Amino acid sequence: MSDKGEVDLTGAKQNTGVWLVKVPKYLSHQWAKATGRGEVGKLRICKNQGKAEVSFTLNEELTTIDTIGDKPSMVRAPREHPFTLQTVGGQTLAVFTENSSGQSDAEASGSGTGTGPDKIALEGLVVQRAECRPAVSENYMRLKKLQMEELSKPLRFSQQLEKAVTTNYKPVANHANNLDYERKKKEEGKRARADKHQVLDMLFSAFEKHQYYNIKDLVDITKQPVTYLKEILRDIGIYNVKGTHKNTWELKPEYRHYQGEEKSD
Amino acid sequence: MTSLGSSSSSTTEYVVRVPKNTSKKYNLMAFNAGDKVSCSAWTQARMERDMSNRRIYGEEESQEGAAGSEFGKKQKEESRRKKYGIVKKEFKVEDQPWILKVNGKAGRRFKGLKKGGVTENASYYIFTQCADGAFEAFPVHAWYNFTPQAKHRTLTAEEAEEEWGRRNKVVNHFSIMLQRRFREQERGDDDDEEGEKGGKKKKKKGGRGGDLRIHDLEEDLEMSSDESEGSNGEDDEAKAKSKKDKGPKGKGKKKKKKGSDFEGFEDSDDGDFEGLEVDYMSDESSSEEEEQEKTKPNKGEGVPKGIDEMSESEEESEEENKNEEDAKEEEEEEDGKKTPVQVEKKKKKDSSGESDSSEDSDIEGEAASALFMKKRTPPKRGGGRGSAGSSRTGSRPGTPSIDNAATSNTLRAAANKLEQGKRQTTIPSSETPAAKRLKMEPSPQSSSGKSTPQPVSGKSTPSASDVQLTEDAVRRYLIRKPMTTKDLLKKFQTKRTGLSSEQTVNVLAQILKRLNPERKNINEKMHFYLTE
Repeated sequence: MSDKGEVDLTGAKQNTGVWLVKVPKYLSHQWAKATGRGEVGKLRICKNQGKAEVSFTLNEELTTIDTIGDKPSMVRAPREHPFTLQTVGGQTLAVFTENSSGQSDAEASGSGTGTGPDKIALEGLVVQRAECRPAVSENYMRLKKLQMEELSKPLRFSQQLEKAVTTNYKPVANHANNLDYERKKKEEGKRARADKHQVLDMLFSAFEKHQYYNIKDLVDITKQPVTYLKEILRDIGIYNVKGTHKNTWELKPEYRHYQGEEKSD
Repeated sequence: MTSLGSSSSSTTEYVVRVPKNTSKKYNLMAFNAGDKVSCSAWTQARMERDMSNRRIYGEEESQEGAAGSEFGKKQKEESRRKKYGIVKKEFKVEDQPWILKVNGKAGRRFKGLKKGGVTENASYYIFTQCADGAFEAFPVHAWYNFTPQAKHRTLTAEEAEEEWGRRNKVVNHFSIMLQRRFREQERGDDDDEEGEKGGKKKKKKGGRGGDLRIHDLEEDLEMSSDESEGSNGEDDEAKAKSKKDKGPKGKGKKKKKKGSDFEGFEDSDDGDFEGLEVDYMSDESSSEEEEQEKTKPNKGEGVPKGIDEMSESEEESEEENKNEEDAKEEEEEEDGKKTPVQVEKKKKKDSSGESDSSEDSDIEGEAASALFMKKRTPPKRGGGRGSAGSSRTGSRPGTPSIDNAATSNTLRAAANKLEQGKRQTTIPSSETPAAKRLKMEPSPQSSSGKSTPQPVSGKSTPSASDVQLTEDAVRRYLIRKPMTTKDLLKKFQTKRTGLSSEQTVNVLAQILKRLNPERKNINEKMHFYLTE
C-alpha cells in the first residue's frame, strides 16, 4: 500500500514535451478503426521562415465513414487537416497516466480505479497546443450535413399507429394470475393453530433478527391465523402506535436483549 | 520519415500512430499560471483519490437485525423511493477529485477537480514523439484542474463574519490569525494538559471567546473531565508556550474579549478590577469595563514592548490583585465555585490580553479553584495539583516576561506575577513562604483548617479552614481515587489552606514531586493516583 499513490516523476524530470491536440469527433472515430500498429496518417511539419505549419493527412483507408448500422455512406472524411497552433499560455499542463489493471472499479478497495494497484506516472508537460481542423472541402460539408441531420433528430418522438394495439391483453373472465393465486390459497388451506410453544419459538427467533414487525409479516412468517397470533403477541409484545415504527409489534422490554440496548431479563 | 529540404523552409513528415490496447489512461493535470508550479522541481509526489464524498452517497441504515431495525425496511424504502421517483446519484470513483501531495509533508498540496464536458464534443489527444521519430497519439481520458490548498490557517465563516464586523476597529490584522491559532492550540493542549492544573484553568470559563460558549457554574466544579475551551491568545509565542501552562482559561477570557470588540485592547490590566463586583455570569460587562480601562494599546505594539510593560504593571498590580482577589474570593466562596476566580482571571486576561496572562490565569484558575472549592475532594487532588503546578512552572520558559502585562488585582495577575516573580526576583519570596509552610505543616499538624504560618507579602490571611496542604493530605486523596491536578487544586482552596494561589501551586508541585504518583489516562485526562 505504500507504493500506491506514489507518482512516478520521470516524465517531469526529463521535461518531456508533448503536444495537446484537439481533434474532431469524427476523426477520433476514424482513428479508432485503425488496424495493425495503429498508423492513422502522417504529420507534416513545415518550417517556413520561423513559422511552423503543421498538417495532418489521414490515411486513405480510414476515410470511409460508417453511419449507423455500419454501412459505408457516401460521405467520406476529409484527408487534410491543418493544425492551428496555440501557446500553452500561463497554464502549466502536465500529463499523467493511470495504469489501472483493466478491471472494473471496485469500491471495496477504497481507492482509485481498479482492484490492482494503480501506477500513476507523470508523462510530461504540454509544450504546444493545437487544434486539428479539417481542410474545408465539399466532402467535409457533406459530412457535417449528415452529422447535423442525425443530431437534430429528437430522442423521443410520437408516432401515429394505424391499428390499435391488440397484443397486450385481452379481456378474460378470470386472469391467469388470479387463477394461480386462488389455487395457491386453496392448497395452503386455512392456517392452523400450531402449538403455542412452537409459535413462541418462531416469534422469538424472528424478533432476534429484527426488532419491529408488521402484523402481516408476522402472519406470513408464522403461518398462524391472525387472531391467534395476536393473542400470543399480546402476551409477549407491545404494539407501537406512535413514533417512527408505526403500527408495529415488538417484544416487551423484558424479553429483549439486543446489542446496543440495555440488557434486561 | 521523409525530409524535403528547400532554401527557406523545411518540411518533415512524421507518421502518426494511435496505439491500441494501452492499459494506460492519459489524463491532463492543469495548474493555474499564478500558482507557479514547476513540475521539474518536484522531488516526490503522492496522488490519490479524495474519497471524502463517499459517505454522502453511502447512506444505509447502519445495522441489520439489531435493535431498532424493522422487518422489510429496505424494501419499503426502495419502493418508496421508486414511487416518488427519487433518483440517487451514484458514487463514481472515476469522478472523485485527486489529492496531490508534493515533496512530502512540508510540501504543497493540490486538489484536482475533474473538468466536465471535455470529451463530449471533441477529443483531446496527446502527441508524443517516439524514439523512431513517429508521433503517437493518446486520447485524453479526463482533465483535472489542480488548485493549491492553503496550508496557512484560515478563518471559518463565522469567524470571518466577526472580523468583518470589526474591521474598522482592528488595527493590527496580524493578530487575528494569531489569536485564532492560539485558540486552536489551547483546544489541542487541553487534551494534553490533563495532568496539569490546566484542567482547572480550562474550566475557567473556557467558553469565553469568539465562540461565546456558555458555561454553567456547575460545570466549573466538575472534575477534570470537563473540556476546556480555547481562548484567544494574543501573543504568538507567548500563546504557544503558555498554552501548556495556562490552559484555556485565560484564553477563554481573551477569546470572549475578542468577541466583544476588544481586538485592539488586550493589555493593561492595571487597576482594572479594583473594587469591581464580581458578577458570575456577566462576563461581558466586566470585560467591557476592562476594555475601557485599557491603558495599553496592545496590538499595535510588538510583542517585546508589550511584555515589558506588562511585567511592570503586573508587578505593581499584583498586590492590588491579591487584595482584590481575596475580596472576591470572599464573595465567591459562598458559591464555592471557581467561577469567581475564573471571572477574575478572565478580567485579567482581558486586560492583559496576552497569552501569557492566560498562562497566568491558568495558575490563577487553579489557585482560585483551590481557593474556592469548598468541597473536600480526596487527597489525590493535592498530589495531582502539586505535580501540575510544578510542571506548569516548569513549562513556562519565556512566557512570564511576555505574559505579565497589565496584571491587576486578579488571581491571574497574582499567578502571573508569581510566575514571573518566581523567575526573576519574587521567586524566592513566594517560594519561601510556601516552603516554610510546608515545613511547618508536618510538625504542628493542626487538624483544624489551615492557617498560614507566616503571611506572605500581599496575601491576606485567609479565614480558618480545615484543609492543610500537606503531603499527607495529598497522599490521602491520591490513594483514594485518581485525580487530576485540577481536582487536587480544588481540594486545597486558598481560602482554606491559607495559601495564596501561587503558593498553593508551588506547594502542591513540591508535594507531588515528592510523592511521585502514578499516572493514568482517564477520559483523556491525566490522573494521578497512589497505591498503598
